[in-house]
Amino acid sequence: MIEPRDEELSRIYRDAEEPRPPQRVDGNIIAASQRVAGTRPRPAGIRFARRWGTPAALAATVLVTFTLTLMVFERESDLDTTAPEAPPADRPAKVSPAEPRRADQSAKFSPAKPQRAAPATPIPQAAARRDRAEQRPGKGAATSERLGTGQPAFVPEVPRTSEGLRKSEAAKPAPAAPVSDAPNASELRQQAPPTPAAAPAEGALSESAATPQGSSVAAAIANRVAVPEAKERTPEKWLEDIRKLRTEGKATEAERELAEFKKRYPDYRFPEDMR
Amino acid sequence: MGSEASDEELMLRYGKGDARAFELLYRRHRLPLYRFLLRQVGNRDTAEELFQDLWMRVVNYRGRYEVEGKFTSWVYAVAHNRLMDFYRANGRASFLSHEESESVLEDLPAGEIAADLRLDRKRAVERLLAALAELPDAQREAFLLQQEGDLSIEEIAAATGVSRETAKSRLRYAVAKLRASLGKES
Repeated sequence: MIEPRDEELSRIYRDAEEPRPPQRVDGNIIAASQRVAGTRPRPAGIRFARRWGTPAALAATVLVTFTLTLMVFERESDLDTTAPEAPPADRPAKVSPAEPRRADQSAKFSPAKPQRAAPATPIPQAAARRDRAEQRPGKGAATSERLGTGQPAFVPEVPRTSEGLRKSEAAKPAPAAPVSDAPNASELRQQAPPTPAAAPAEGALSESAATPQGSSVAAAIANRVAVPEAKERTPEKWLEDIRKLRTEGKATEAERELAEFKKRYPDYRFPEDMR
Repeated sequence: MGSEASDEELMLRYGKGDARAFELLYRRHRLPLYRFLLRQVGNRDTAEELFQDLWMRVVNYRGRYEVEGKFTSWVYAVAHNRLMDFYRANGRASFLSHEESESVLEDLPAGEIAADLRLDRKRAVERLLAALAELPDAQREAFLLQQEGDLSIEEIAAATGVSRETAKSRLRYAVAKLRASLGKES
């Protein structure tokens, strides 16, 4: 019977010359093992990175792109809304009964029913803030709106009306006539007879100006509106208008215009008939 | 410190990036593995190629290695698989055709080593190596796995993918033939 392990045979086998692998082979193997040892210390982490690396990179790219696009869009929107802040002064006033600003104006001219003059305003808080901003001295309405309300959608609407024009002018320095020279609400209330009902905005203004009773109101309005117009008129044209008022028998208005003229052109050499 | 670590610990450490652990492991097993391959294929160039390829497999497997047994059982199983690839690639189909039956082995006598060979160790080694080269691949492999890898019959069976009885018969047959080669005068 043969034993599974023959010790005598094993001893003879161990006496055999020991062949060795060449040093070149040893060097190759050790070098290869060292080369890859540092590159894969945690195979699980590598597998995770391989699996999720590409989706994570894609997600990051999309996120960054979206964020940048949003930032650019917001910046462009901001530019769009701030650009019309200073519209040209000669822009014709637009009549829009639904505008809350009209309601403010008609409330000034119709003190009997100020509440009715405020129709369904889209953003009444914003209108109130605009009023507050209007009361602040030395500050442009548009600027205060932009800074205070943070609602740029309302900003472009400001200069559309004569009120807006007045505010715009108030925000501008000389040579425009100071707004304080224009009659304030209490003055207008004294001059204007109470109207039976507050008419919607601009329509009411036009009607009152057409009637004899509303002539002083119309004059006041004309005076207010004339402020920006004065910028356009030459002194000669302005004097011509004053003469015209005199010939029409509107002495008060003519005097008021003349006073305005003198304030505007204090060193103007008046013609004989104007002195 | 490092040299006292077991083979399995060293392999795990290498899997975590410790290159020094691999070096220790390599130095422990390089000669037995090289001899195993060289005596199996009988050619230095081929043995070097297989040897290098075997260790590259170990290197590449470092992250997936798990201790499920002795490192030697695992690494000799890798060597066996590499040899099988080599045999298949070179048309050496004899490896699987030499399945010895127990009955054949039972008939083999337990040969005595000749007295003169006991004295002449060098000649005995030459005779043994020559007889080893003449053995069928499977029998030679079983003998070499026992001598170089110090594997038990069960471990030889696991490494070569055969039953325990087959591994045992291969080993018995190889030993019997080798002893027989040393017992008779040439």
